[in-house]
Amino acid sequence: MIIRIRKALVAAVGLLLVATTACTNTTVQPKSTVTGANVFNDPGAYEAFLAKLYAGLAVSGQQGPSGKPDIQGIDEGFSQYLRLYWEAEELPTDEAVIAWNDVGLPNMNTMTWGADNGFVRAMYYRIYFQVGMVNQFLRETTDDKLDARGVSASLKAQVHQYRAEARFLRALSYWHAIDLFGNVPLVTENDPLGSTPPKQSTRVDLYNYVVSELKDIEGQLPAPGPDTYGRATGPAADMLLAKLYMNAEVYTGTADYADAMNSIQQVINSGFYSLDPSFHHLFQADNNTSPEIIFSIPQDGIHTQTYGGVNFLIHAECGGSMDPSAYGIDGCWWGIRMRSQAYNHFSAGDGRASFFYTSGQTVDVADIPTFTDGIAASKFTNMTSTGQAGSNPGFVDTDFPMFRLGDAYLMYAEAVLRGGGGTRAQALQYVNALRERAFGGTSGDITDTQLTLPFILNERERELLWEAHRRTDLIRFGEFTGGSYIWEWKGGVAAGTATDAHLDLYPIPGSELIANPNLKQNPGY
Amino acid sequence: MAALAVLLWWAPLAAQASNGTIIGRVTDASSHQALEGVTVSVGDHGALTTAEGRYIIVGVPAGTQTVRATIIGYADATKTVTVTGGQTVTADFQMTAQAVGLSKIVVVAYGQQRAGNITGSVKQVTPTEFNKGRIVTPQQLIQAKVPGVQIVGSNEPGGGQEIRIRGATSINASSDPLIVVDGMPLASGGGISDGRDPLNFINPNDIASITVLKDASAAAMYGANSANGVILIQTKSGRQAPHIEYRGSVSASTVTRLPDMLNAAQFKAAVQQYAPGNVSQLGTANTNWFNHVDRAGIGQQHDLAVSGEGNSMDYRLSLGYLNQRGIIDGTDLQRLSLGLNYDQRFFDDHLDIRTNLHTSHEVDNYTPGGVISNAAQMGPTQPVLDPNNPTGYYEWPGNTLQSADNPVAALRLATDKGHTDRSVGNIQAEYDMPFLESLKAHINLGYDLTQAKRETFSPSDLHSQLKTGGGGNVYWRTPSMLNTLLETYLDYSAPLDVLPGKVDLTGGYSYSQSHAEYPWFSASQLSTNLLGVNGVPGAQTSQNQQDIEDSRLISFFGRLNYDLNDRYLLGLSVRRDGSSRFGPANAWGVFPAVSAAWRISEEPFMKGRTPLSNLKLRVSWGKTGNQSFANYQQYSTYLVGDAQSQAQLGTQFVSTIRPSAADPDIKWETTKSWDVGLDYGILNQRVTGSIDWYRKNTSGLIFTVPVAAGTNLSNYLTTNIGSMRNTGIELGLDADILKGGANGLSWNASFTVSHNTNDLTSINPYGGTAAQQQILTGLVAGGVGTYIQVLQPGQPINSFYVYQQKRDKNGKPIYSDNNGLDSLGHFTGKPDGVINEQDLYVDQNGDGIINQADRRPFHDPAPKWIIGHTSNLTYRQWDLSFTLLAYLGNWVYNNVASNLGNYQELSRASPYNLQASVLYTGFATPQYLSDYYVQNASFLRMDNITLGYDFTYHGQPLRVYGALQSAFTITGYKGVDPTAGINGLDNNIYPRSRTFTGGVSVRF
Repeated sequence: MIIRIRKALVAAVGLLLVATTACTNTTVQPKSTVTGANVFNDPGAYEAFLAKLYAGLAVSGQQGPSGKPDIQGIDEGFSQYLRLYWEAEELPTDEAVIAWNDVGLPNMNTMTWGADNGFVRAMYYRIYFQVGMVNQFLRETTDDKLDARGVSASLKAQVHQYRAEARFLRALSYWHAIDLFGNVPLVTENDPLGSTPPKQSTRVDLYNYVVSELKDIEGQLPAPGPDTYGRATGPAADMLLAKLYMNAEVYTGTADYADAMNSIQQVINSGFYSLDPSFHHLFQADNNTSPEIIFSIPQDGIHTQTYGGVNFLIHAECGGSMDPSAYGIDGCWWGIRMRSQAYNHFSAGDGRASFFYTSGQTVDVADIPTFTDGIAASKFTNMTSTGQAGSNPGFVDTDFPMFRLGDAYLMYAEAVLRGGGGTRAQALQYVNALRERAFGGTSGDITDTQLTLPFILNERERELLWEAHRRTDLIRFGEFTGGSYIWEWKGGVAAGTATDAHLDLYPIPGSELIANPNLKQNPGY
Repeated sequence: MAALAVLLWWAPLAAQASNGTIIGRVTDASSHQALEGVTVSVGDHGALTTAEGRYIIVGVPAGTQTVRATIIGYADATKTVTVTGGQTVTADFQMTAQAVGLSKIVVVAYGQQRAGNITGSVKQVTPTEFNKGRIVTPQQLIQAKVPGVQIVGSNEPGGGQEIRIRGATSINASSDPLIVVDGMPLASGGGISDGRDPLNFINPNDIASITVLKDASAAAMYGANSANGVILIQTKSGRQAPHIEYRGSVSASTVTRLPDMLNAAQFKAAVQQYAPGNVSQLGTANTNWFNHVDRAGIGQQHDLAVSGEGNSMDYRLSLGYLNQRGIIDGTDLQRLSLGLNYDQRFFDDHLDIRTNLHTSHEVDNYTPGGVISNAAQMGPTQPVLDPNNPTGYYEWPGNTLQSADNPVAALRLATDKGHTDRSVGNIQAEYDMPFLESLKAHINLGYDLTQAKRETFSPSDLHSQLKTGGGGNVYWRTPSMLNTLLETYLDYSAPLDVLPGKVDLTGGYSYSQSHAEYPWFSASQLSTNLLGVNGVPGAQTSQNQQDIEDSRLISFFGRLNYDLNDRYLLGLSVRRDGSSRFGPANAWGVFPAVSAAWRISEEPFMKGRTPLSNLKLRVSWGKTGNQSFANYQQYSTYLVGDAQSQAQLGTQFVSTIRPSAADPDIKWETTKSWDVGLDYGILNQRVTGSIDWYRKNTSGLIFTVPVAAGTNLSNYLTTNIGSMRNTGIELGLDADILKGGANGLSWNASFTVSHNTNDLTSINPYGGTAAQQQILTGLVAGGVGTYIQVLQPGQPINSFYVYQQKRDKNGKPIYSDNNGLDSLGHFTGKPDGVINEQDLYVDQNGDGIINQADRRPFHDPAPKWIIGHTSNLTYRQWDLSFTLLAYLGNWVYNNVASNLGNYQELSRASPYNLQASVLYTGFATPQYLSDYYVQNASFLRMDNITLGYDFTYHGQPLRVYGALQSAFTITGYKGVDPTAGINGLDNNIYPRSRTFTGGVSVRF
């Protein structure tokens, strides 16, 4: 009996050895994430992927307000696209300073950034994150691939429009790249996905590419309507084209104000937009109902939460003796104020200054980290036009008006003054339309003789304060670097000092020069 | 394996009818215990004794034969017998121990070896050497006992322990060693838990030995999991006649050191001077907030074990109860543990089935988040209570984000608790194959099941909720993990006919898989606080998520140990690992190791001619791997966004999907290491020890590095890129200085010394200077995204990365306006009206401005030297032991000082209390990046002192003892604890406790 059991045991051991050696399959597929192999089995994936392209401007990752970040190497809240873009466009200018001592941030206030600046680096990576996402979307939505997956004709038509929207978003980000960094690589859906470092392109090539892209998709984009809120439309593409043409001299060395005028007129004459009767409404929690906004980055207290974007703006512009509940938020971050130069550009009676907060604040910024130094402003707010707080005091509902009609009016006037065509009379009418809204009547109207380029620059500051246009405007007017216009703390000195022209472009991040040996640093860095 | 099979079948064919057989049993002359693995030889025939000490030699030619029995650590024995053809003759041996330490059985990977025959760097620690006192987690048992092993724990009772064996080998994968309990490998880091150390499931009193496999030759049998070394924990089994053991102890702990904050008078004076606008907020109280949150931590432990052994079985059943309170209010731990070890042998001991089972239920309470930091920040002039506040506790007015929270209110109102249920068990069968002596088949079936829960609750009226508008929050996570293991291997151990010496061959297969789920749930803006953690009232926002992690590891392994006369020893091993974490191109990795040892003391020219009882030179080389990184790295996945990160498309909100960047070829990190060692013993092993030199070169380090923008789906890609080197020496010395016998004074002293240098050799393949390759790490409090450490080629990992503070001749930081800027932004050396960076810091590159390029690597948190000393003194029935631990050359960033040591903190909406260094530095603004805060944290600590008394009561042994842990620490470090976490960041860490334990153990 025992011998039999032993034999059985030997057999069992032998069998087990043989059986187990047979199992050598090490593959384990992920379960709780979707893989590239099966994601498009769900027809909703196309819209979800498109949504990510838009969300790339609005949030910082796949978990709101923070978590699973899109880009790495920086605090996630800091890494949000709009927040970085806003900081790049506003902090080095006369319009704003930010109080915080986070490494690299004070240098943004004073134009003392280097190639290792974390905020500059994150902006660069944010732009290319958008580009990479769009390229991948375009690769995955070619007609061949759609046919292979057997998608329905109606979905296919839908996806065609999505592709145009995706290309608009890529054009938008490339515009930011041209404006902020200059000569950077052009990567499209025709480049393979991988790690082969792309070649450096010139600012001119990029400019030409973006212009041709926008012209190509203009007709494929939908007309504005309730279903396109927050999305790319034909007029949005025209507005972006106009932005490129307006700055063509900076970007390419050759001015093109005629094309700028043409595009601006297309926007204005499209008939979809009108000035919002209330200037404040443009920056309130229900600004999605404003008739003036051409392209916005929507935020939402429940669905679209971020520590960047307008949520950052509304929290950071609050501090000192300001009561956060008056702006529909839970607390102040004690960050952003104006410099005295910007504040002094506003005159009495200008309604656009009515949200300035002066109590306890000084006009001069004696000390940047001290919130009470400099005039604060609650331009953006999480209260609605009817005085209700937004849906969530922690995360605002207020959308960011990236393009709006008021800007187009001022661009029209500027293009006229720069010889792009149009009429001075029309220009004056547009400018005074904005000023009448601001002053609540004609008391602020200007005359034709007052309609000059310096006036336009200052008017743009008054109209578009903190709307992320200032650095580009100052460069176009030649006032950003150099010594012709000095503001507090420009160059790191309390009184301000001249700065070198190389600062008109941000440096290509040092980490990128390592990752991509094809790149040459911008001059001066 | 084919060669092995041939060999196995070949051996028994020698038996001839004209020959006889010799059988016998070999025992220890003094203990009469059976000796296993003794080589018994006759001419060129030989055999090894079994676990019961028995041997059989067949085919011995008839005639008078000399039978010789040899085993390391014992004097050779011979016996003359007369063999008659076809008959069996018996020859029993009683062998006399010469050097007991050498014959000690040491647990190694997939087997055991005699200590003297080990060719790798292995150290086994047994209960007599374990640290005493209140030990909650097993790792603490061997603190300071093993050279080359660094153990850093959170100071909480049962808090997580981090172990580094011969330095860290990884940045982004784990640097924790593999832990194997009774043959069951645990998941990376020891598994999962609710937040405390995952190894808490083992009652330290159930542990029979802890073996540390340090070099590659010892560890490589665990292949892709062995690069950080391996720790083998063996639990106790039943010994001797059935008996019951009870151990009980009570303990009391107090705080050793707290952050040095301003008192009420100093705080008030500072506010009056630097933030006069905030004076109106100050109260008249004199509150030391830490006095309100710390306490004496009382603990008790009771362990009951029933054990015994019979003819063919042994058993041990243990029950443990531990209740330990922490020294900060709100922290405690309760553990119920059950251990069962049962061994049953069948068929004349040919089949041995052993069952090990360890199960525990641990209930943990945590001090709610922010209590310690707010005790530092809360103004000492403010009262604890405020009858006008609905909660009854004082809070700063205005509920602003810029005010501290009353820590006492957080303690009383918020909840943070959890529990972990874990069961680890296995069945190991060992079967002596009947057709061939010395061939054994092993099967090991094991499981490791953990279910944990962590729950936190912050009511809506808590200040931290009011000021952020959180509206109350409830959060749960319920991680669970099930790992299963199947291992089979064959072991053949015998003298060889074809060669002199003996071989030990092992070959096998292992299959393990893991399934883990990590669901979590969070709800905020609660409609009521009444349910606490126990329910979800109407909540305005809720988030929940599920993450499933599956993995699999399949391995083949083989080992050959060759032993020639206990003098020349050779070990060869190879393991082939296939892991689900590797990309298809690298699905399988091979991890070989080779080691050799020469026992010089056994050479004729040495033997008996010197006081050296053992001198063994060891050399080993091996390749080990590290696969303790995240699953699914090789898959390009689409990550689905949650309901709070949607995009608004027109009138609807759409959840997003995001493709992630992936490296399809991701694989293990490889460490190739050399070890050269010398084991020595003098005066019949009265003095023993070892010296080791090692070098570990790790390549294919997994880094998340920047990739050329636009080429991939993220700016960073996780891939095998970097390399790192650890080099060190280790010294162990153990001496019986006094041997007083039963009634005299005996003194045993042991020393461990280890030195390690770490050098990160490369990060990025694209080149660039070391400075360009830097990766910042070490996120600290102060600002957002402030990193204080750097990964930089040529530097130790996690080097502090700081500005050089200008100092006066006394070393005091200079804080005055002495260096302004001109209109070009360059230094003038003249005042400019503000104190800023150029006044404070050295311009390292001389470019006239202070920026990132002027930061430099400056020391690192890893100790350069770790020195341990243990003394055991006995006199009659008294025993006294103490353990000293010292680190030299470890540096810590005092983050409490850097964050709160500046007057700007007073200008917040409500002033923060300041760290006392501000009185010395005078800093008006924070200087997070100053090297002033990177402080030498070398220390000498009396880790524990134990005094015990043994006597008999009614004929039964009884022991009473008292132990004092962390008796004193000598250090120049000014923060809370010089062992502030493995990464040297001291930011509101849990303070170290000084614990007195009194206990008794009885046996009946």
